[in-house]
Amino acid sequence: MTPPNIMEYSYYPGCSLHASAGEYDLSTRELFKALGIGLTEIPDWFCCGATPAHNVDELLSLSLCAKNLELADQIEGDVAVACAACFSRLKTAQHVLGENDVKRKQVEKAIDAPVKLNSNVKHLLDILAHDLGLERLAAAAKKPLAGLKVACYYGCLLTRPTDVPNLDCVEAPTIMERVVEAVGAETVSWTHRLECCGANFTLSRPGVVIQLTNAILDSAKAAGADCIMVGCPLCHGNLDIRQKEIEGVYKTDYNLPVFYLTQLVGLAAGLGPDQLGLDAMIVNPTPLLKEKGLL
Amino acid sequence: MKTKKKMVISQETMDIDFVRKVEALSDTSVRRCFQCGKCSAGCPMATFMEHPPNRVVRLLQLGQWRRIIEGRSIWYCASCETCSTRCPNKVHLASIMDALRKLSWDADGPSKESYVQLANKLFLQNIRTYGRQYEMRLAAVFNVKSGQFLKDLMLGPKLLAKGKLKMFHSKNKNMTEIEKIFSRIEEMRKKGEAL
Repeated sequence: MTPPNIMEYSYYPGCSLHASAGEYDLSTRELFKALGIGLTEIPDWFCCGATPAHNVDELLSLSLCAKNLELADQIEGDVAVACAACFSRLKTAQHVLGENDVKRKQVEKAIDAPVKLNSNVKHLLDILAHDLGLERLAAAAKKPLAGLKVACYYGCLLTRPTDVPNLDCVEAPTIMERVVEAVGAETVSWTHRLECCGANFTLSRPGVVIQLTNAILDSAKAAGADCIMVGCPLCHGNLDIRQKEIEGVYKTDYNLPVFYLTQLVGLAAGLGPDQLGLDAMIVNPTPLLKEKGLL
Repeated sequence: MKTKKKMVISQETMDIDFVRKVEALSDTSVRRCFQCGKCSAGCPMATFMEHPPNRVVRLLQLGQWRRIIEGRSIWYCASCETCSTRCPNKVHLASIMDALRKLSWDADGPSKESYVQLANKLFLQNIRTYGRQYEMRLAAVFNVKSGQFLKDLMLGPKLLAKGKLKMFHSKNKNMTEIEKIFSRIEEMRKKGEAL
């Protein structure tokens, strides 16, 4: 019999985790199950509107987020969010709706319900580092990631918005490093860990993404990293899916597997490749993990 | 050679009403900016813009918003919020960019940057129709509508093989709710209750 969960959360996966970032969803569920953290997916959640909505229609963006917060309110516990963009949008909506009465009234009219701002929106990193705690995380690492040099890539939205207390320091966060070091990995110090990858320009202006992402891959490689760890499906898409193309454009060879944080922590917690969705990664991580004796 | 249009600062060319609208929408004041340039120094997209972020604010201060709207700068902003984070005067530039895009978008503005706007439009249409974002559909329709049939064609089979492109998605059972949100907002705008 499995022991009862030590913590319970409502879970907002976001659109990407049901499609291109399926392995993030899978590894999150498997890891949290192994750690005894309960996740209940919010029934009938909607897209948060992401960048396109707030870009041209703030009211729509706020309303979509408020609707999701209302749906999350049905479930006991804080809201666990996997995607950095969804996380940033939901946090921003909470902040704006709490401060601005005019906008809150408009949103209440749009969703035809009172705005609920009580739920605590948390990124998975926050849950692992603070709610579970690094000590318990370290204790769960049956197979520590010894000898693996990880470049922790935050990108831009993980530490946004800036006007509210958030995940970590906006200019010099260390939460990813602390989490992955707790499970035995080494981290490298590098220049581009907070630089934007170009995010959703991958659809409209891929040339932009190729240029920005190349600088990130180049910096990680130069710092001696074996792999990159991310907490955002858009960053992952750009760094992993476009890596071959970037290598072609810049006539170079990076060969840097890009892991989601839940995949690396899950690996240390003794989960198998099938539970982590490692075969969905475009840059094959198997040779690296075999070389380090982790697989 | 293209000649640059000379900027004339006078009562006739300064449209401050528009700037006030931007300030109201973004809940921030452009007058606080003293042009230190930290926003542009940290902006990952500044190299792709004809007016880097600090100049966007300067043009607003001078009421020269048309120059911004006609260009591509606002559509090349990635919304990474680095500018807002680093501003010593708490000018929320990321929100100013949102406000400028909204006003330009609503007025069907003259910017030549159509790909980003097309992507935004399709993204929002998808939310209204499906409640969630369907990446495969988004990419396919974008390629057709932008006339770039071969864009990222080489990625397709690989992504399909890796299970990253889903032909079918879990449907949201609450679709009437999302349509109601969209139509209520449209209704409020018609009545002049919201911008």
